Amino acid sequence: MEKTLVRKPHKKPSAIIALVVTYAVMILLAITMVFPYLYMALTTFKPMSETVSAGFKLFPRVWTAESYKEVWELVPFGRGILNTMAVEIPVILVGSFTSALGAFAFAKMRLPCARVLLLVLMSGMMVPFAALFLPQYRIYSSMKLTNNLLPLILPGLFGNISMVFFLIQFMGGIPNALFEAAKIDGCGYFKSFVYIMLPLLWPALAAQGVFWFLGIWNDYFAPSIYLTKPEAMTLQPLINRLNATQGGRDFPLVMTGAFLSSIPLIAVYLVFQKYFMSALSITSGIK
Amino acid sequence: MERRKASKLVRREKLTALAFVTPLIVGFVVFTLVCMVISFAYSFTNYNPIRGSMDFDGFKRYTELFTHPTYKKAFLDSILNTLFLLLATPLCLTVSILIAALMNNKKFRGKTVFRVIIYLPAVTSVVAVNFIWRYMFEENYGLINTFFHAHIPWLTDNTLIKVAMIIKNVWGGIGTQVILFMAGMQNISEEFYEAAELDGAGPVYKFFRITLPLVTPVLFYSIITSLIGGFQIFADVELFAGGQYGSRTIVHFIRNYGIGQNLYGLASAASFLLAAVIMIITALQFRFNKWVNYTD
Repeated sequence: MEKTLVRKPHKKPSAIIALVVTYAVMILLAITMVFPYLYMALTTFKPMSETVSAGFKLFPRVWTAESYKEVWELVPFGRGILNTMAVEIPVILVGSFTSALGAFAFAKMRLPCARVLLLVLMSGMMVPFAALFLPQYRIYSSMKLTNNLLPLILPGLFGNISMVFFLIQFMGGIPNALFEAAKIDGCGYFKSFVYIMLPLLWPALAAQGVFWFLGIWNDYFAPSIYLTKPEAMTLQPLINRLNATQGGRDFPLVMTGAFLSSIPLIAVYLVFQKYFMSALSITSGIK
Repeated sequence: MERRKASKLVRREKLTALAFVTPLIVGFVVFTLVCMVISFAYSFTNYNPIRGSMDFDGFKRYTELFTHPTYKKAFLDSILNTLFLLLATPLCLTVSILIAALMNNKKFRGKTVFRVIIYLPAVTSVVAVNFIWRYMFEENYGLINTFFHAHIPWLTDNTLIKVAMIIKNVWGGIGTQVILFMAGMQNISEEFYEAAELDGAGPVYKFFRITLPLVTPVLFYSIITSLIGGFQIFADVELFAGGQYGSRTIVHFIRNYGIGQNLYGLASAASFLLAAVIMIITALQFRFNKWVNYTD
């Protein structure tokens, strides 16, 4: 009771209406956002016959885990996750390192023509993948590298320019004195990058890494071009194959594939959600 | 002596710095520059790796895109489809900015929970989002038609398929945009609102006169990134629409005629036109930056 006395005594009715409207809209929106997931999750437990009969039922009448068994039989699901991780891990580890090293040269060293160089590198981001993949496909297929993960891994190893740009700005906030002191002590540039810069860079690298991870996990275009054999596929094109069985009519099967492919991401997201939110606003440059 | 030693040190620093950016430069040259040049070169030929042809044809591929009886319709329709699908951008941004403004209410509790929920689609696998919505839009057994006791051919009609894709993409895009707008709105000083309230301003006035003008930097960023993404829609065509004709985008055209039918010249010409459009949009970003309000 005392608390309410401390607050402003007069609440305008318009403010209360605004608050009620806000809650109503937000709850409606939250339902719209969550409902498709709920529907997907419940459909995975339905027998196929239930999904192709008239009338809408949210919950399965008969609960069955048949679709889960079928997914593992129809596509090499575990292999798909392994393949996806085989792209994720080297690209993010090596790519983040090369990005950070490059950013270090831009931010803390006397790099000749730094401005022009950065502008040229960044102009590369403007070029859509659609204008690059035809020659890439020709080159990789002449090297017999289709159905191989290398076409998906190689480009990432050379860094990510949007990450470089972000790291340069982040490094601007780290005092130069640290590196000058190291220089006087006879510490080489690479050493001062590894021992002084990198430890300070973790929050920035993690923020960018989170979205890079997401981007690779969700990549469909490039994998769908290079990978045609199920054993070679990453998760996204692999799950798409489920749609081809029964002409996409086996809804529980398709939903199970969709559900399984999103569970890892959603789990990571729910655990690290705080991190995602701050990373999102940092990455877009709006603090 | 001292100066020579110093200049030697500077030179060494410059060389080391260059070595550090070498991976970035190599990546850019190999995967962007060289491929772009090759792609550009393809567009002036009749390159077909199956027939083994590669003759210089001038601008013939470019004119074929707009005049050739077989490709003209597919190409022009893919442009129209892509433009139609871009309608998702203004819809999504309008909805998002309104939601963000509602959530920006200081008395509103549970911001974190709602933000986490709204952002879910952005962290769901692309295939999953497309499959869920494909199932919900299904004509006979889909949730939407069953719910309204209707038989709307969402997935087979050339126009409705695009409407369905727009609905799906607005749903999927709201999360990211709301969080960006909220971040932008939190930067707006409380004083502006207090001053307006003293003058008796209502919520609508405050939204249009304070909130909206001051989030223009975010709005601008969102418009540009959404447009650039919108011009490159591909996964939706295969995963959501199953390649249905009315859903086919420019990137689908490029992939279909390039890798699918081995008409590399034609596909490259189309890809170059797309690249030009995207570059123009990005250039506009720099040109019209003045129009945006920056408070600091």
